Amino acid sequence: MAAPLDVTGATAEAPPEAVLEGAGKAIEGRSLGQIAWMRLKRDKFALAGGVVIILLILSAILAPLLTKITGGPPNEFHQDLIDPTFSKPVGDGPFAGFSWAHPLGVEPRSGRDVFSRILYGAQISLVIGFLATLVSVAIGATMGVIAGYFGGWIDTVISRTMDAFLAFPLLLFALALAGVIPDHAFGLSGNTLRVAVLVFIIGFFNWPYIGRIIRGQTLSLREREFVDAARSLGARSSYVLRRELLPNLIAPILVYATLMIPTNILFEAALSFLGVGIRPPTPSWGKMLADAVGYYSVAPMYMVVPGLAIFITVMAFNLLGDGLRDALDPHAR
Amino acid sequence: MTRYILTRVLGAVLMLVVTSIVVFGIFFIVPRLAGQTTDQLAAQYVAKDPSPEEIAAIKQKLGLDQPVVIQYGRFVKGIVVGREFQFGPDTEYCPPPCFGYSFKTQRPVWPDLVDRLSVTFSLAIGASIIWLVAGVSIGVLSALRRGTFFDRFAMIIALAGVSLPIFFTGLLSLALFKPTGVNYVPFTDSPFEWAYNLLLPWITLAFLYAALYARLTRAGMLETMSQDFIRTARAKGLPERTVTTKHALRATLTPILTLFGLDIGLLLGGAVLTESTFSLPGIGRYAIDAIGNNDLPQVLGVTMLAAFFIVVANLIVDILYAVADPRVRLS
Amino acid sequence: MNRRKLTSITAAGLALGLLASCGGGGGTDNNGATGFNAAAERVVNQSTKTGGTLQGALSSDWDSIDPGNTYYAFSWNFARTYGRALTTFKTGAGDAGLELTPDLAQGLGEVSADGKTVTYKLRPNIKFEDGTPVTSKDVKYAVARTYARDVLPNGPTYFVDLLDAGDYAGPYKNKDLNAFTGIQTPDDQTIVFKLKQPFGDFDYLVSSPQTVPVPQAKDTGAKYLEHPISTGPYKVDSYVPGKEFILSKNTNWDASTDPNRKQLADKIDIKLNTNAEDIDNRLLAGSLDFDVAGSGVQASAQSKILSNASLKENADNVFSGRLWYFVMDEKVAPFDNVDCRKAVQYATDKVSLQTAYGGPVAGGDIANTMLPPNIVGHQDFNLYPTPDNKGDVNKAKEALAACGQPNGFNTKILLRSDRPHEVSAGEALQQALAKANIKAEIVSVPAGQYYTRFAGAPNYMHQNNIGIAFTGWQADWPTGFGFLQQLVDGRTIKPQGNTNIEEMNLPNVNALFDQAAASKDPAQREQIYGQIDKAAMEQASVVPFLYGKGLLYRNPQMTNVVISFAYGMYDYSILGIS
Repeated sequence: MAAPLDVTGATAEAPPEAVLEGAGKAIEGRSLGQIAWMRLKRDKFALAGGVVIILLILSAILAPLLTKITGGPPNEFHQDLIDPTFSKPVGDGPFAGFSWAHPLGVEPRSGRDVFSRILYGAQISLVIGFLATLVSVAIGATMGVIAGYFGGWIDTVISRTMDAFLAFPLLLFALALAGVIPDHAFGLSGNTLRVAVLVFIIGFFNWPYIGRIIRGQTLSLREREFVDAARSLGARSSYVLRRELLPNLIAPILVYATLMIPTNILFEAALSFLGVGIRPPTPSWGKMLADAVGYYSVAPMYMVVPGLAIFITVMAFNLLGDGLRDALDPHAR
Repeated sequence: MTRYILTRVLGAVLMLVVTSIVVFGIFFIVPRLAGQTTDQLAAQYVAKDPSPEEIAAIKQKLGLDQPVVIQYGRFVKGIVVGREFQFGPDTEYCPPPCFGYSFKTQRPVWPDLVDRLSVTFSLAIGASIIWLVAGVSIGVLSALRRGTFFDRFAMIIALAGVSLPIFFTGLLSLALFKPTGVNYVPFTDSPFEWAYNLLLPWITLAFLYAALYARLTRAGMLETMSQDFIRTARAKGLPERTVTTKHALRATLTPILTLFGLDIGLLLGGAVLTESTFSLPGIGRYAIDAIGNNDLPQVLGVTMLAAFFIVVANLIVDILYAVADPRVRLS
Repeated sequence: MNRRKLTSITAAGLALGLLASCGGGGGTDNNGATGFNAAAERVVNQSTKTGGTLQGALSSDWDSIDPGNTYYAFSWNFARTYGRALTTFKTGAGDAGLELTPDLAQGLGEVSADGKTVTYKLRPNIKFEDGTPVTSKDVKYAVARTYARDVLPNGPTYFVDLLDAGDYAGPYKNKDLNAFTGIQTPDDQTIVFKLKQPFGDFDYLVSSPQTVPVPQAKDTGAKYLEHPISTGPYKVDSYVPGKEFILSKNTNWDASTDPNRKQLADKIDIKLNTNAEDIDNRLLAGSLDFDVAGSGVQASAQSKILSNASLKENADNVFSGRLWYFVMDEKVAPFDNVDCRKAVQYATDKVSLQTAYGGPVAGGDIANTMLPPNIVGHQDFNLYPTPDNKGDVNKAKEALAACGQPNGFNTKILLRSDRPHEVSAGEALQQALAKANIKAEIVSVPAGQYYTRFAGAPNYMHQNNIGIAFTGWQADWPTGFGFLQQLVDGRTIKPQGNTNIEEMNLPNVNALFDQAAASKDPAQREQIYGQIDKAAMEQASVVPFLYGKGLLYRNPQMTNVVISFAYGMYDYSILGIS
């Protein structure tokens, strides 16, 4: 799921069906959660990823405060810092425009502070990344459990639907859909509407990945003794689903949700890069990269900074996700 | 076996039909959902302020005034048996697969797609060779030397690789190595120029996939090495080299090659971001332009082509699987 | 009267260019060394040397190379190498390039007393590339086929709108050319246009490639672009869409019938869909002669050129003829009040908008009038001066008070999301307006439907309360009429495809247009254009901020290079290679 493939972001990291199979086998005396946490604590990379994520979330939330200290408002123009002939920050070398007041330099053309735009851009990336994942997980887990548990024609229908989804050029659909978002709809307007639509598009198009994994998990869990036992004791489907299956599915859902967030962040960045993200002047990382295209020879850092922001964020989530998977899965170590 | 293949092919055709309905439906309905009238749709395709009569004429010519079912019928008919189009003094026959004529450029869509496909194909072929070789060998080495510095280092790089958006690595590599940009030269014009210009896109794209494949190969390899048949092989006293290459690698490669087939299918449908970043005139770039221009025949043509590649890649992979492993056929 | 399409995505302004007059003998450049902006002042590298291949490139593609179906500025300029219209622009630097001169015709149009009939006599002995003589019927047929909008939709519709032809629908539905009554051809050399009403700038209209003769027998409708039959010094060898466009000498072109063009190079070879940065690079390296789009180099080449004297002397920074501006919709509150519009006029920081468009070189000069300097009728004035053009918050607040909104108001700015310069300018305007307590929200929409669905649809503007919309304009011919009529004549407001976005409808302005159309005196017309400009600016609903410019680079090996003011780029009809 950590696969930010070319356009589509669509190739799922084919999860070896067995990856999480061991999730249920807890060593006696300690709960699965405790063991996982112990393992996670030993995984320095995963911890680092977690710390970075927490810092990112904090700085996104505290962006208004942080930019008071340095950087200033994200949309404020500083044209005195721009060389009008070349539209680039005044000064020589790649780090032209960097100063204490503007620790990551200023945007070509407008002189807006890059640091504060990155922070505010983090809000957009994280909000869309999390919410879209929530949508994917909600749809994917529900469909996956239903398909895996009931089997038969229900499974066939859902599995075929997932196959069909995977056969669609998703990025193209997303582009086409996002390109026609009206100014107001569903009682929302402006950027609120756009964020909502982006969340829906990204989340909706990506649910089959998590759906497939959860279906596989459910399939194998269904055949386990404890499920059999519950069923033979006369438990109804809803009970088995809720009390027996779901608790055992939480671990894989958690892992793949963590790994899906970076994919969705990349998807959002790709849409913004291609020009169908949120509206100006609200900053977004993908849009910043797209803007940098025309300036990479004269203001290279303007391209590097948002690129690194995406990279660090995605990497942090991937590290944490990998760590979580390893921690919850004795096989992979 | 024949029966299995037949069912699979039928399934694939069915999938394409369903896809075409959904694709057509989406691109037909979405503009209307966004509140566009057929007049507005038609007006886009006349360059200057059109009179109502002109709009009506264009609307009729493009068939926008027809109900969705009829429009879909025409679309399918064009793909299957071809269609006739009115072109000034003459009627022009557009042979199957006919995706119609672009609303904007008035050129038939299919030859353009075929033309663009050569670019996307060139991109995919070079990149896939690089990533398959690099990804699998790094993955295998990492698995065999698990826990060593090489393993850790390779895996960190691989994780970084899957965390980097291609539009960033692409821009970065352009800025560093080829600030003048990439200019696609057809293979038939000059094989050297072709390869020289594609080298950077190949490496950039391959880096992303190689990272992914290295991770998957390593995981798969470790998984396989812990299985019973490997233990048996070792117990038999086979040399370690034979165990790893003959047994473990083979078992690991099957799912990797499956994925490889699917990835190629996906890529042929348009490496949108790579082509955008490097300004390569391939299928993906075509798709973006088509969507930007609201050019329905182009959009339909390119999405159907993309879906076709994905479905066919799936089909081939399924059949190869069945050939390799008879159990699949029975299930 | 419609906007010419911008061709490159990032295009700032286009530059103009006509060919230098071919007067004078040959030999080498007798105008001394080249230099920065030299081609804007004279014909650089004058020469009669023949041979060689002119290498061109384009980062995009033609809309169509069919002269009757194209609407790009560069395309109109380039079409003159393979097609001759009734009139054309003179080859020469500066204002000389704005002058019309007969091409196929022997003289400019003879206008009847009532102004409704315009007659041209064709020059004798003009032939198509296959040797058949060109007759007035071929010109008539060329215009007739542009009526078939369903087959040839790209070009402008002036003839359709102006000629008295009833509901004629083009020659494809009814092959009898006599059914087309808008043009009469009493003999093979005479062509008579019948107009619905007088039209002063008619000579400009027939300079468009829509009057390039097309033999009816060779017309293949939408497929004519595969091989348009040439009347110019070059003929089409091959045109492969998206790949290349190759022309070679047309042996049936006779220099003695054509005082305007030259036939120097043996071939013209244009590579299409070439990477823009690569084009620049090859230009600077000398392996490419010209960028056909003529819209100027990209940012990185610009910095190379301006920082290197030996490159700079081969560059020209010229007006494209394009105006960048934004409008306030007079039908959307609070812009129904002139003082609220004035508040925006004063609050606007034009320097920040200029920077957004790429600064003084790549963007252009700050504009305070609608007519750019290279348009016939331009006058210099500024009704809403602010210090250094950076906006005047105090005056803006005074105007706000006068319009009864002392605390400012909320509005929306409409712009095209896929135009980075425009987005940047919108953000700059938003910042500037905020200083005067005018809170503007940006609404960005796709460029493809900007005029059919968004800015060009008054209903959309009203329903969504869009007060401000960004746009740009380039006239189809360089006079005040051609430039202004579609922008400020109230009678041109349309439910879609509207370019009078501000919905200005002033009786005195409309009357001035009628006056100009009826006038047969060019000097008087020129003066009226200036009046229209001023009257429209007094209405305060249009805020011009930039006369577009581009930085063009000419390969020093290219001969007879001059900027055509009419097209805003190098004149392609006389180029040679040494």
